[in-house]
Amino acid sequence: MDVGQYIEIFINETKEHLQSLNTQILELEQDPENMDTINEIFRAAHTLKGMAGTMGYKKMQTLTHDTENVFSEVRNGHIKVTASMIDVLFQCLDALEEYLANIQNSGDEGENDNEHLIRALNDILENKSEDAGEASQTPADAAGEEASVGEKKWGEIPLAESELHVMREAVKQGKNLVGITVHVQESCILKAARAFLVFKSLEELGEIIVSNPPVQDIEDEKFEFDFSLILVTEAEAEEAVKAAAGVSEIESVQGEIISLPEAGDRTEEATEDLAEGCGEEQKQAEEEPAVQEVRTEKEAAPAMPAAPAAPAAKENKPAETKKGKPVVNRTVRVDIEKLDVLMNLVSELIIAKNSLVSATNAEEASITAVNEQIEYLESVTTNLHESVMKVRMVPIESVVNKFPRMIRDLQKQLGKKMELYMSGEETELDRTVVDEIGDPLMHLLRNSADHGLESAEVRRERGKSEVGSIFLNAFQEGNNVVIEVSDDGNGIDVDAVRAKAIDRGTITEEQASMMSEKEIIDLLFLPSFSTAKVVSDVSGRGVGLDVVRSKIQSLSGEVEVKSRLGEGSTWTIRLPLTLAIIQALMVEVGGEKYAISLGAIQTIEDISPDDIKLVESKEVIHLRGSVIPLVRLNEVLDIASTRAPEDNLVAVIVKKGDKLAGLIIDNLMGQQEIVIKSLGKYVNKNKEISGATILGDGEVALILDTNALL
Amino acid sequence: MDGLKVYADSTQFIVIAMGDEYFGIDINLIDNIVKMQHITRVPNVAPYIKGVINLRGEVLPVMSLRLKMGLEEDVFSKSTRIIIIRLEHQGMVGFIVDEVKEVLTLENAAIEKVGYDSKEVREGFVYAVGNYGESLVSLLDMNTVALEKE
Repeated sequence: MDVGQYIEIFINETKEHLQSLNTQILELEQDPENMDTINEIFRAAHTLKGMAGTMGYKKMQTLTHDTENVFSEVRNGHIKVTASMIDVLFQCLDALEEYLANIQNSGDEGENDNEHLIRALNDILENKSEDAGEASQTPADAAGEEASVGEKKWGEIPLAESELHVMREAVKQGKNLVGITVHVQESCILKAARAFLVFKSLEELGEIIVSNPPVQDIEDEKFEFDFSLILVTEAEAEEAVKAAAGVSEIESVQGEIISLPEAGDRTEEATEDLAEGCGEEQKQAEEEPAVQEVRTEKEAAPAMPAAPAAPAAKENKPAETKKGKPVVNRTVRVDIEKLDVLMNLVSELIIAKNSLVSATNAEEASITAVNEQIEYLESVTTNLHESVMKVRMVPIESVVNKFPRMIRDLQKQLGKKMELYMSGEETELDRTVVDEIGDPLMHLLRNSADHGLESAEVRRERGKSEVGSIFLNAFQEGNNVVIEVSDDGNGIDVDAVRAKAIDRGTITEEQASMMSEKEIIDLLFLPSFSTAKVVSDVSGRGVGLDVVRSKIQSLSGEVEVKSRLGEGSTWTIRLPLTLAIIQALMVEVGGEKYAISLGAIQTIEDISPDDIKLVESKEVIHLRGSVIPLVRLNEVLDIASTRAPEDNLVAVIVKKGDKLAGLIIDNLMGQQEIVIKSLGKYVNKNKEISGATILGDGEVALILDTNALL
Repeated sequence: MDGLKVYADSTQFIVIAMGDEYFGIDINLIDNIVKMQHITRVPNVAPYIKGVINLRGEVLPVMSLRLKMGLEEDVFSKSTRIIIIRLEHQGMVGFIVDEVKEVLTLENAAIEKVGYDSKEVREGFVYAVGNYGESLVSLLDMNTVALEKE
């Protein structure tokens, strides 16, 4: 069976689990005693292990297995969560992410065994057994070392001294030792998965001390059709048998309480017999207490409806078929409700089309009837567009969720105290934008952490709280999504930037004296400009901010910074909600049609030529108390205006951040939904044109980039 | 069915007329030939870029082959066509030509490579010459023609 078709699901789900582990472990660090968190982590690790095992990723499975063991101990209260342990766990998550990245890129988990991590995890476990003498169990994999192959019954499970010790302890505490042998149906395709489920249901009752074959082999499906194990539980044998038999495709389960074997004696003796009232299987077990030769019992017993074979099997490593190729397409997970809405709209679209056809075919095609249908069609397509857009939208949560962890790491790296406050994680953006926005945000956060925040001593001197704050806020504003990254640190030292710019020859001293603070700060976005005196690992190489800006511009967004020396700075990223389709105002300039994105437009004003004033030989108007520079589009676009100079002018007031400008056009044509097309090579160097669109009559109209015009 | 036979030792060209000269374009590069249509002007670009057109829902740039080769400005007539060329790196681009004549099959042996006069504007545009009836046809290297020069 090929697992290729499940690899996407595997990758998506693994990502989710890793993210949840990251979040939970961070929480655990704050609140090491929180049982809910610990349980949550344990569950996530357990699921991860199962998934990796099913998909045949052994190294990943081993690592998660050991991680899970640690949590199992934590959950049982045998070890305490320590800072060093958290560090190791985070490293494990990183390693798992690396495996995942490898799988995503090549279909193979890679060669890295991460032995040091496994050792570190085992160290944590061993320390526990020294610290807590009365620990009642040992990690299940310890049994693996001792196990021999070929035995069929729980009586044949080879027991190591450590396990015997655990069993003795358990009996002392009044717990039952239950030996269980499980037979899997021969038709079962996913033996390992079934075994896994049996283990899972049994672990709800108690601890599995040892199994034969060892857990690792069972997970690798290295067993025939049965396996045996010993469970330490407070429950009765029948309860355990029932739990195990509850799994699909299990032929039969035998189990009973066993007595403690003599130390060194590797054979089992069934002493206590609590079989009364047990199921059919139980009796079966009684009849052949410790007979080694008897192989599998084919009982008709608890006929569990055989579930259809679970999708994922593990015979084939996906690596063998897909090596070297990226195996995953970019996907969006869509809420089924959104799809229903889409489906309905498409049905409506078909109805509209049919009505339109019949309206035009009618004997006397009346123009009103056709118009009516066209209006209907229009409303349907608008709704359809909106819904499709919504389908493409995903919350930015998936990106920002990794930041708390990053800040935690930075805290250690930089030796500063800081706290990240996030809000608006649920804000939705187009999938393509969300995919791209992670890096720029990371840059800005690192920038804030490294350059922005002062060291604890400086902060104390300045009367600030020792712990620096970094804020990440996201919200929707009109057609845009705004993401702000701010800090309460030092802010940008404009003088230092100016000095640096002059020093580097970016600007002359003369220019510098003419420039406003804002313009100086904008210099930071130039390539290879860094004011950090020391290049650190975190930032200061001067590759950051210009990359941030170009990335955001490529997403048709913009980035701004406001700063107050000593109080902190705020970086504002503004992004369009979606890239493909926009609402636009169509205008005419010199007989040519242009589109202006509605999102950028503030108002449309009718102005008389007399209202135009000259400031520094540039045309401006006064509008409701503010002075707005005018841009004559016909000049920018190099074409003659069709308006007589004495006529009133139409100005489209557009804004970019805080800046406003009035674009003088010849005629307004109206609002329209337009599909953005790229201009392709040759013409894309044009700053003032951001793209093109195809109008209803097939003609091409250019889209003005108002940001470039300001 | 001789006409459909593929001769590995010959190449097919579309012959175009520009003024009284003939040029050949390798047929494999040609995506489409469309009639002259409305071209949307793009401001502030090189003069030989006439603008953009809508070809089956895609927007693509159109160049004047005349201006590119240093000839005088196009005069659009009934026979003016836009030849859509698919280039390896630049994607699709249209060239305005005076007239499209026919498809010409040239034996590779009959194609004569030429060295070019470096003084010419059309430096490197013509890579070879072939016979076309009574006259000659200059074979264009479209990748070089489409190259943007500063």
